[in-house]
Amino acid sequence: MIHLLLQATSESQGQAALSTSVPVSPADFWLPEGASTVSPQVDFAFQFVMWISYFFFVLVIGLMVYFAIKYRQRGREVYARGPSHHTMLELGWTILPTILCVFMFWFGFRGFIDLVTPPQNAYQIDVTAQKWFWNFRYPTGATSADSHLYVPAGRPVKLVMRSEDVLHAVFIPAFRVKKDIVPGRYGTLWFQTDHVTEGWNESDPEKQKFHHLFCAEYCGKDHSKMYAKVFVLPQADFDLWLEKQGRWMDELKGDELWQVAGPKLYGRCASCHTLNGGASTGPTWQGLWTRVSGGAGSDGKLDNGKETYASLIGAGKAFENPETYVRNSILNPGQHIVVPFGNVMPTFKGQLNDKAIDAIIGMMKNLDQFDAKGKFIGSGVTAAAK
Amino acid sequence: MTTLTPSGHAASTDNYLTFTRGIKSWMFTLDHKRIGVMYLISVLASFFVGGLFALIVRTKLLTPGEVTWIDADQYNQAFTLHGAIMVFLVIIPSIPGALGNFVLPIMLGAKDVAFPRLNLFSYYLWITGALLSVYALLAGGFDTGWTFYTPYSTSTETAGVIPVVMGVFVLGFSSIFTGLNFVVTIHKLRPPGMTWFRMPLLLWALYATALIQVLATPVLGITLLLLIIERAFGIGIFDPGMGGDPVLFQHFFWFYSHPAVYIMILPGMGIISEIIAVHSHRQIFGYRFIAFSSIAIAVFSFLVWGHHMFTSGQSPLMNVVFSFITFSVAIPSAIKVFNWLATLYKGAIALNTAMLYGLAFMFLFTIGGLTGLPLGTLNTDIHLHDTYFVVAHFHYVMMGSALIAMIGGIHHWWPKMFGVMFSEFWGRIGCTLVFVGFNVAFFTQFMLGSQGMPRRYYQYQPEFQTYHIVSTMGAYCMALGFFLTGAYLLHSLFFGKKAPANPWGGRSLEWQCTSPPPHDNFSTTPSVGNPYDFSDLRWNEAEQGYEVDPNAAPAKDTH
Repeated sequence: MIHLLLQATSESQGQAALSTSVPVSPADFWLPEGASTVSPQVDFAFQFVMWISYFFFVLVIGLMVYFAIKYRQRGREVYARGPSHHTMLELGWTILPTILCVFMFWFGFRGFIDLVTPPQNAYQIDVTAQKWFWNFRYPTGATSADSHLYVPAGRPVKLVMRSEDVLHAVFIPAFRVKKDIVPGRYGTLWFQTDHVTEGWNESDPEKQKFHHLFCAEYCGKDHSKMYAKVFVLPQADFDLWLEKQGRWMDELKGDELWQVAGPKLYGRCASCHTLNGGASTGPTWQGLWTRVSGGAGSDGKLDNGKETYASLIGAGKAFENPETYVRNSILNPGQHIVVPFGNVMPTFKGQLNDKAIDAIIGMMKNLDQFDAKGKFIGSGVTAAAK
Repeated sequence: MTTLTPSGHAASTDNYLTFTRGIKSWMFTLDHKRIGVMYLISVLASFFVGGLFALIVRTKLLTPGEVTWIDADQYNQAFTLHGAIMVFLVIIPSIPGALGNFVLPIMLGAKDVAFPRLNLFSYYLWITGALLSVYALLAGGFDTGWTFYTPYSTSTETAGVIPVVMGVFVLGFSSIFTGLNFVVTIHKLRPPGMTWFRMPLLLWALYATALIQVLATPVLGITLLLLIIERAFGIGIFDPGMGGDPVLFQHFFWFYSHPAVYIMILPGMGIISEIIAVHSHRQIFGYRFIAFSSIAIAVFSFLVWGHHMFTSGQSPLMNVVFSFITFSVAIPSAIKVFNWLATLYKGAIALNTAMLYGLAFMFLFTIGGLTGLPLGTLNTDIHLHDTYFVVAHFHYVMMGSALIAMIGGIHHWWPKMFGVMFSEFWGRIGCTLVFVGFNVAFFTQFMLGSQGMPRRYYQYQPEFQTYHIVSTMGAYCMALGFFLTGAYLLHSLFFGKKAPANPWGGRSLEWQCTSPPPHDNFSTTPSVGNPYDFSDLRWNEAEQGYEVDPNAAPAKDTH
């Protein structure tokens, strides 16, 4: 029976989605802005439950306060004669809430079936969750370069999600959707939004409008930093954006590579590596290039004190040059662990190609031309602008 | 009706506190009252520690970004400790262990629980569990969250995970033995005349709780053992990398932990039934509905665990079934609230500290119960799951209801337990501070959650900061209220006026023996009547307490 229901709603949902456009509902006292096609349904169920709750709250607390004042003890009366039971009243306040609960269940059930039934024509995006960042991969094979989620407006989008390590969960409050990502399984979540977020291609982040995407299942130290922005683009802009994701680094020439690509790629590193020497899960990038190339700090300990940077890197040693060491640390991070950090970094094999690693190394070498958040502030290179 | 008035008692100067002396007489005592007092002290000490961790968490959340005095790892450990201490060391043992142990045998008319040695053993198991938790903290702490979800809990590098899981395992047995003891006591030690329907409603609630403790807690024990086996020996049970399933852990965990929610709240509901009836001097309304709703809650509590897992990836059909059954558990809770309300009607309500806590409970539990509805409704739960809305909801139920009932109960039975009266003036102020602080702290968290703020976050979006600041201020206000409460209660122990046998005009058996009760509770078998018939009481100005009026018409069972 449930499968019939699932199918029936799924087809009607898919068709309705193409023809009508659901408006954005503004944030109110309880709920944030609702921007997906399911949000009106969820909000209705929420308001329905809340109004019933207001009614019973006012009834119960109103009577409680009234009785407490009206029947308060004035002397030392020891015995009050009120009724000890009233069968009809008791049956009444058992049956009425039961009926209301059936309605609540029904609205929640109908809405839930829509939430878990992606339309057939949904556009699929593969999501990989790792401690502590998101990776979004599109049907063309391209991944979102800055690790934010870009989706087309006006068509259903399906996220097919897997985890590399522990439980995570995708939560987009404005879309009223959430789904755990369980290691060893694929989770799916779908939504459709008909409204473009303005300013997605502005260079100034202040002017960008976006929705939050949170990790909602506790996943350790930087759980709260496992965050992405959701940008909704018109289909045409989305197609252009997607085309660029595959080859955007190809267009960058010379120093542009680390100046432009470095900060974008650093978005994935930022949850564990600071640029200003601040403490975090992994070593700071400040002074990193000096350390690995034999300068100050090259006596820093690795592998529980068995090695130092200097003993590993250099001609005739394990790593011919610092570039090889850094590349290995990105692709094979568990091999050498910097003291006092733990072995927590995931591998980026298959996620960062050689060009991307070049860009990151370039950024490390020229860290003085970036601010603490990774924004390029170098000496008047206009190519840095988009 | 023969009663044990202070003057009529053969050894009225000798009570359970003075019966024997010396530290050993406490450590090896088999007296349920002394064991109850030891539980009370231990649980309140744990509450103090758990509360400090709460204040650390709330203080961090004043600012959205990183702070220098506590980093993300320490923050995660702080909220984990807060949750684990409050759930396993405070709320679960609080009412059954402390107040239940003290009043259950007296209310029943028995001299002790059925197995006094097992009772003492339960207490030492609690101590062992607490010590293991302290060891876990010293060995490197743990940052798993109190839910110990795999695979994070089997892979995190913090070294305290196995010790604390062992600790919770041991605490589980403490809880099982207490429950077992109460079930047998209520079945076998009722004196002549104490029929099931003459039992005060607290005993029904403790009985229902004990059934859950005995039946559900072993599942927690097994689950935690499996967790230890996987973490220590790498045998795949929950880890998909080794052929296990993380969702299986969640099923096991909530199969215990949802019933555990009722282990926490049911005794609280029992206390409130006592407080409301006694301080209204009025036959409780709908005795049988309240009694059976406790049993109904105990039964339904086993059938709703899946509502913690609506987003976990369990089958949609299962979600639908669990959502439906979840609503069925709302009904018995609603029945209780309506019955308490009807008990106030035409009562003679004494607005003293214990009753204020009773009314505060009704207020907070109504909010806690109603906000459970959008969490049981499937599509709204998808939005609210794992946000501060859930945090606020279960704080309203566990702290605002279960713990407030516990504190109300402490005030209600304080004269009985220690033979002294506390200051009603400071009591009312303390209650007001706690009540106002609590609502400021946690009502804001409903808004935070429905707006989309996920729980267990060290850093958060700046737009949420105002709510967080307000919430933290509420927490400080609550802390002030608790410190004040601790202060006047301690003060009363040394300087409080001597308590009469029956200061509030209660009619259940504990008010028939002296304050504090003698070592054996009753020197003669007490006569049992309707525990909520107050018609034969009168006020004795000299005693500053109530006593039975020998000229009153004989009491009759009316419910």
